[in-house]
Amino acid sequence: MLPLRYLLLLLPLLTPLAHAESRQPTHSYTLDNGLKVIIREDHRAPVVVSQVWYKVGGVDEPPGQTGLSHALEHMMFKGSEHLEPGQASHLLSSLGASENAMTSRDYTAYYQMLSRDQLPVALELEAERMHLLTLPEDEFIKEIEVIKEERRMRVDDNPNGLAYERFLAQAYTANPYRQPVIGWMHDIERMSIEDLRAWYKQHYVPGNAVLVIVGDVYPETVKPLVERYFGAVPAGAKPVVRTPLELSAPGERSMTLHLDLQLPTLLMGFNVPSLNTASEAWEVHALRLLGAVLDGGYSARLPSHLERGQAIATSVGTGYDAFTRGDSLFVFSGIPNEARNIDLPQLEEAIWQEIDELKQNPPSEDELARVQAQVVAGLVYAQDSIMAQANRIGELEVVGLSWELVDEDTAALQAITPEQISEVARRYLVRDRLTRSYNLPLAEEAQP
Amino acid sequence: MSPRSPFSALRWLIALLVLGGMLFLLVERAPEQSIPEPVEVPTEALVVTDTASEVFGEPLPALQSLEELDLDTPPARRGLDLQHWQTSQGTPVYYMHADELPMLDVQILFAAGASRDGELPGLAGFTNAMLNEGTGNLDAGDIAAGFERLGAQFSNSAHRDMGLLGLRTLTASDKLEPALSLFAQILAKPSFPEASLQRIREQMLAGLRYARQRPDSQASEALWSTLYPGHPYGIPPDGTQESINAITREDLQRFQQTYYNASNAVIALVGAVDRQRAEQLAQHLADAMPQGDAAPRTPAPEPVSASTQHIDFASNQTHLLIAQQGISRDDPDYAALYLGNQILGGGGFGSRLVHEIREQRGLAYSPRSTFSAMQAPGPFYISIQTRADQAEQALDVANQVLDEFIRSGPTDTELSRAKQQMLGEFPLSTASNGAIVSQLGAIGFYDLPLNYMQLFLDRVQALTSEDIRDAFARQLPADRRVIITVGPPQPEPEQDSSDTESDSAAQTTESEDA
Repeated sequence: MLPLRYLLLLLPLLTPLAHAESRQPTHSYTLDNGLKVIIREDHRAPVVVSQVWYKVGGVDEPPGQTGLSHALEHMMFKGSEHLEPGQASHLLSSLGASENAMTSRDYTAYYQMLSRDQLPVALELEAERMHLLTLPEDEFIKEIEVIKEERRMRVDDNPNGLAYERFLAQAYTANPYRQPVIGWMHDIERMSIEDLRAWYKQHYVPGNAVLVIVGDVYPETVKPLVERYFGAVPAGAKPVVRTPLELSAPGERSMTLHLDLQLPTLLMGFNVPSLNTASEAWEVHALRLLGAVLDGGYSARLPSHLERGQAIATSVGTGYDAFTRGDSLFVFSGIPNEARNIDLPQLEEAIWQEIDELKQNPPSEDELARVQAQVVAGLVYAQDSIMAQANRIGELEVVGLSWELVDEDTAALQAITPEQISEVARRYLVRDRLTRSYNLPLAEEAQP
Repeated sequence: MSPRSPFSALRWLIALLVLGGMLFLLVERAPEQSIPEPVEVPTEALVVTDTASEVFGEPLPALQSLEELDLDTPPARRGLDLQHWQTSQGTPVYYMHADELPMLDVQILFAAGASRDGELPGLAGFTNAMLNEGTGNLDAGDIAAGFERLGAQFSNSAHRDMGLLGLRTLTASDKLEPALSLFAQILAKPSFPEASLQRIREQMLAGLRYARQRPDSQASEALWSTLYPGHPYGIPPDGTQESINAITREDLQRFQQTYYNASNAVIALVGAVDRQRAEQLAQHLADAMPQGDAAPRTPAPEPVSASTQHIDFASNQTHLLIAQQGISRDDPDYAALYLGNQILGGGGFGSRLVHEIREQRGLAYSPRSTFSAMQAPGPFYISIQTRADQAEQALDVANQVLDEFIRSGPTDTELSRAKQQMLGEFPLSTASNGAIVSQLGAIGFYDLPLNYMQLFLDRVQALTSEDIRDAFARQLPADRRVIITVGPPQPEPEQDSSDTESDSAAQTTESEDA
């Protein structure tokens, strides 16, 4: 089913819209200790997703201590006052629940999906480890080795992962988004359990977290449960959450990497604002539509012109996350079609032609109609998954945006004119904001 | 290790690159466990345990919520009114009405996987990737634009057993009808345009090169070729450089005509269309397909004896696989092996492999064991990735865990826990239309009874520890165990143990091709 997943992945700018029509009743409130709670009802199936999102991620880590948030996430499964290491996972899997956690640059999140009757168990476990985590050193010593294996698998033995890590280190100049979430290996190696205890104490407080519950539940029954388990967590001191900001014109950066790759790859990233940092929100929505015009489906411009058409690229696409805590990146990536003797500079040139075309001529009505149709349908499809709904709410709230944005998103996009799309291309897809990376197989040299 | 075409692997790569900001940085604690196999609708009488500690068989933490949890009642589940009929051509249709959302999921499964490649490895994947590249006078861009302007999502993929086509569409009639009509045109008259042929060929060749930079791809390739020499499952689904270059337009057309026909298909539908409408839609799709014959069932493979091989690869980690031929999807042992594997290493945290390899020793991030039950007996394998100098230790531990499990089976505690787990998983595995359509497709493709999910859970709940031990011992004889490692050259050269070529006596499975 990879192509389907691929399809969903390549429409990142559409997913936020998925919940625009919140047909399901949604309830939002804050506990006395500062914990924000959002409950969305979805009664299609007797299951529920419970998620806790903490406003701490790779971007908060001081230099020399990269990987702290991710390591702490691993240690959150290693016991709390009433639970032995691994016991909570054992218990949840015995119930048939699925659970996991994720760490990003902006946040750390934990979730359980389970039968609605089991929700209290998930809430109690999550509340306990919000303030009563044990953080035993013997477990840390083993777990840090697991994390090193994870890094070897995801990054060090994965040349594309490595290339992307290096790329980000250049693409952000003035903020810690340049740091890898999993941490540099040398930082992982010198991390101590004391570091994690301090990190936990500083960031894991109710006022720095959001609880999202989506599924077959009603507020009358869920609110008392939330109060019972999370109400008991002491408020603590709320940490300062800083918005990572980038320079407006950091200057053109270029790098060439020789890696154990089979296929050369191109990465081009432009420093752009997110919804959080843009002075005018329309710019961000126009950038999202720009991404859709270029790459929102197999009929969009990049697949049509560069994969088909001239067949310059074996594969090419764009990515832009508009819903980050700080400034964002608009990224092009591609593999040149070597069967037709296309190299990286030629692929880059072809991408520039597409950019320049859009700077000069706004997209057609027909193109935008296709994008809008996908947006509207995406609203419906995303409701098939309570996990997707919960993720969307959590991703917005944890970076300081309101979940209610989903209700306004369709309108926000529909208000964008074709000329505004050209305008953001002219403003933001410029060389002063560009980081370009040529990633080449070991034997090859970069063409000048 | 799921089979896929290089074409889709490449798309996946670019998706990863493009979305690196979201994917690469979202470091999950454990790899996503795949959705559990279909588990069954619990019947009322199944769960007889009284207290939590009896269910879990261990000292429980002092949690209020746990004390109050009612474990005597199976978890509530979504009502599933599964239905089945045949089109006039005899194409089986599986359907569930779900009208909560104005959408429809269609999945068509053909016995058109790489196991049908014959002398041209990659042919099935190539054909599948070409289906949406042209039909009638529409080219790839027209087709894509056609779906996208309706908000419809088309999908296609090829695996070892099957080739798939899927459609997700809104059910408003101004969307549903044109989307299905376009879908039907793809089924009816793919045109295999020359321009696309060359491009897809180039992408597949690039995909083959891409696989060479991935140790996991190397390990997977070695697994299938070692376990299935001369068998259709031993065919590399991504093809070879020679075969991809050799495939002609006529080969693709022939493959499509032979395998993408109404007698070789299963249609699954879930969504907001009523039974009468669903019958019309399914008939419409079957009418569009070429007429032809059902493909013969893939034969059972010859047994393969134990061997060890190492593939040199410039990596920090060694990827290791312990593998042997497993079972087919309709094997009577399936329930016992499925449940046992959950306990052994398929169930994530709490399973023995994860406990011993990851939690106790910190050797690897995602050790796991898998029974890949297919039309013919698919592989069983344990996979581990660990720093190269620890590979031998990890292999020893994994072998010991497996040997011990085969010798003694699960404990009573593990067994009751695993049964409870499967009851709890059922509501999750049927919560979305997307999950249900996949399950219906699998039931149809593997020719399982409509109430299969029910039967399966009944079987699981009736299993004893001895049933599981016995099934593992019969199905996984140690003299068939194959070891594959991919990583830096090993310090001391491995003894080639392929001298154990003594004919292993009996067929391991009594199940196949009954």
